[in-house]
Amino acid sequence: MAEQTGLLSFEAQTDFCRRAEDCGIESVLMAFSFTRPDPVLLSLALGMKTEKLKFMVAIRSGIVSPTLFVQQINTISAMTGGRVCINMVTGHTPHELGYYGDFLPHDERYARTDEFLSICRAFWRRDGEVNFNGKYYRIENGKVNLPFISDETTSPEIYLGGNSQIADELAVKHADCLWRFPDAPEKLRPRIQPIVSQGTEVGLLVSLIARTTREQAVLDAHSLIETVGAKSREFQKEALRRSDSIGIRTNFKLAESNESEWLTPNLWTGAIPYLGAPAIALVGSYEEIASAIIDYKQIGISQFLFMGWPDIDEMIVFSREVLPLIRERERESGTQGHPDRLRKIS
Amino acid sequence: MPLRFHWRMLMGGEVSGPTRTAMNSRVETGLPDLEAQIRFCRSAEEGGIDSLLTDFGFSKPDPILLAAALGMATEKIKFIVAYRSGLLCPTIFVQQLNTLSALIDGRFSLNIVAGHSPQEQRYYGDYLSHDERYARTEELLSICHSLWKHNGEVSFSGKYYKLENARLNTPFVSRERSSPEIFIGGSSPDAQRLAINHGTCWMRIGDAPEKVRPQILPALKAGIEVGLRMAIIARPTREEAIDAAHSLIECLDVEAKDEEKEKEFVRNSDSVSVKAVYGLETEWLTPYLWTGAVRHIGGTAIALVGSPEEIASAIMEYREIGITQFIFSGWPKLDEMVYFGKEILPLIRRKEQVFSRAHSS
Repeated sequence: MAEQTGLLSFEAQTDFCRRAEDCGIESVLMAFSFTRPDPVLLSLALGMKTEKLKFMVAIRSGIVSPTLFVQQINTISAMTGGRVCINMVTGHTPHELGYYGDFLPHDERYARTDEFLSICRAFWRRDGEVNFNGKYYRIENGKVNLPFISDETTSPEIYLGGNSQIADELAVKHADCLWRFPDAPEKLRPRIQPIVSQGTEVGLLVSLIARTTREQAVLDAHSLIETVGAKSREFQKEALRRSDSIGIRTNFKLAESNESEWLTPNLWTGAIPYLGAPAIALVGSYEEIASAIIDYKQIGISQFLFMGWPDIDEMIVFSREVLPLIRERERESGTQGHPDRLRKIS
Repeated sequence: MPLRFHWRMLMGGEVSGPTRTAMNSRVETGLPDLEAQIRFCRSAEEGGIDSLLTDFGFSKPDPILLAAALGMATEKIKFIVAYRSGLLCPTIFVQQLNTLSALIDGRFSLNIVAGHSPQEQRYYGDYLSHDERYARTEELLSICHSLWKHNGEVSFSGKYYKLENARLNTPFVSRERSSPEIFIGGSSPDAQRLAINHGTCWMRIGDAPEKVRPQILPALKAGIEVGLRMAIIARPTREEAIDAAHSLIECLDVEAKDEEKEKEFVRNSDSVSVKAVYGLETEWLTPYLWTGAVRHIGGTAIALVGSPEEIASAIMEYREIGITQFIFSGWPKLDEMVYFGKEILPLIRRKEQVFSRAHSS
């Protein structure tokens, strides 16, 4: 649900969230950008209108005191029964970071994020006053009265987005799950192996175009590009030029340099130049998409954050047609543990 | 313009008149109690209260989020959201406030405070001195105003904040205003300057009218409003009110050593008004203005004590010297607010009519 105008369309978003609950989606990502309403406020507001859905609040270090952030997240938890988790992002466009007074280069932003999460987690441990003396933050005897409130946990799950080496290290240190962009399973496997083996989950940030047949899906994929057209391509080129994100650069490179737009029979890079890095998409029949997801599961991927065009239609199709197939495969293979966890970009 | 009356928001688990130290040490204070708080908001709406103050502090829920939750459950009541500089970058601050405005039709104003406890500031990573905090707050509000003008990109290069071409797509939404009203609290010259430069109303802790009058003249001349923060202990008769005031102190938990803890709090504070109010020696500053609870509960416990008629008259005395807004509290907050709305406010509205006739003829 793009909110590029910045105006709040609260009713539509509430409907979307209720639909997501019906679809068996676990969480919605509440992105952070100057183009959107604030995700902290919006998560609380939508949380009060829903029953089950969780809200994954995107946050960058460097714009808010970690103590205040913990206080805000704990406040949401108290009002929604703990239906909030956080998606730590590091920012990808120095130009926009400057709007928020953040002028640190890429690697330093990760170093600051490290400090930020260390402090937040110390508050959530609730084992006394928090003291921290770092390069970016200094906290003395910090305390917040309001705990994180949930029936399940004493701290929110922490997701971390990033595709650089430094993001891997940070995820292992602090996060429950690292979000990555997809690649072919055999290429992805060695890169996620060290993370998974150290106890941090890895999830994929990927778009979906699922249709009754493969032909229809491919047709729709191509007509999607035609609809958005050359103007988006110019816009994305400019966005790429301004970005210092490793993941975004890698995805564009994949889209440009590969001989084929297809990294696997179902993983398509064709929309990236038009719609940006997260437009890397699984394209195919319901059966094919279910198989592709199971393939990822076999190499250790355990969560997915999906996008679609439009989001709501793709989410409904996924839930009705693809999800039952995935659950069936999971039962057949007798996979132990949690079923794949599904998230949706809002 | 009729006088505007605001009340302090009920905190979670708040029963009667807990002291600052008691509130800070209880987990319940930090827990929102939406059911009781929504009831409180509705009573405020019925009682003719304009806004409810949601405080900022480590012991409480985040006031922006609390205002959002309560505002979504009510129709009319407004909120005064207290915040400090140095907690978050001005751009995200405005983004959060603008989002709040869209959720509750702009039914809030801001109370920017400089912070009064260096210890608590450090919980949030803030190490600036009193004067520097004011200088930073000045920068914060300059940036906020620029972003609210919403006419292009905002660049700012100050001592505390630096922004480049900042813009936000989410505007401030309200039927009445293009930016929130801004209350500035504090009684130091820095606070006054900040209020005149960036505020719509300067909030001070109550004192005798003849003492307040000369202090607020510059602010009134500069065209901003001045408001008072105080408490109310009103009962049908003056005797009953004074009894209630005295028993308030007697009921305070002696075991909890609130008096000592408040003393400790004031010693550690660098707020001019906190120290000034604490230092008051006289118990009755006027026949109706009582300081007896200040040393137990804190500066905002300076209270108007008396019958409805007496309190209405006392409030009109402030009106005479140019005070136009009040943030009140009481023990218990709800009962005192309901009593105020029922018994005192109608008297004030009548007196205001007389007052405005006298001033227009």
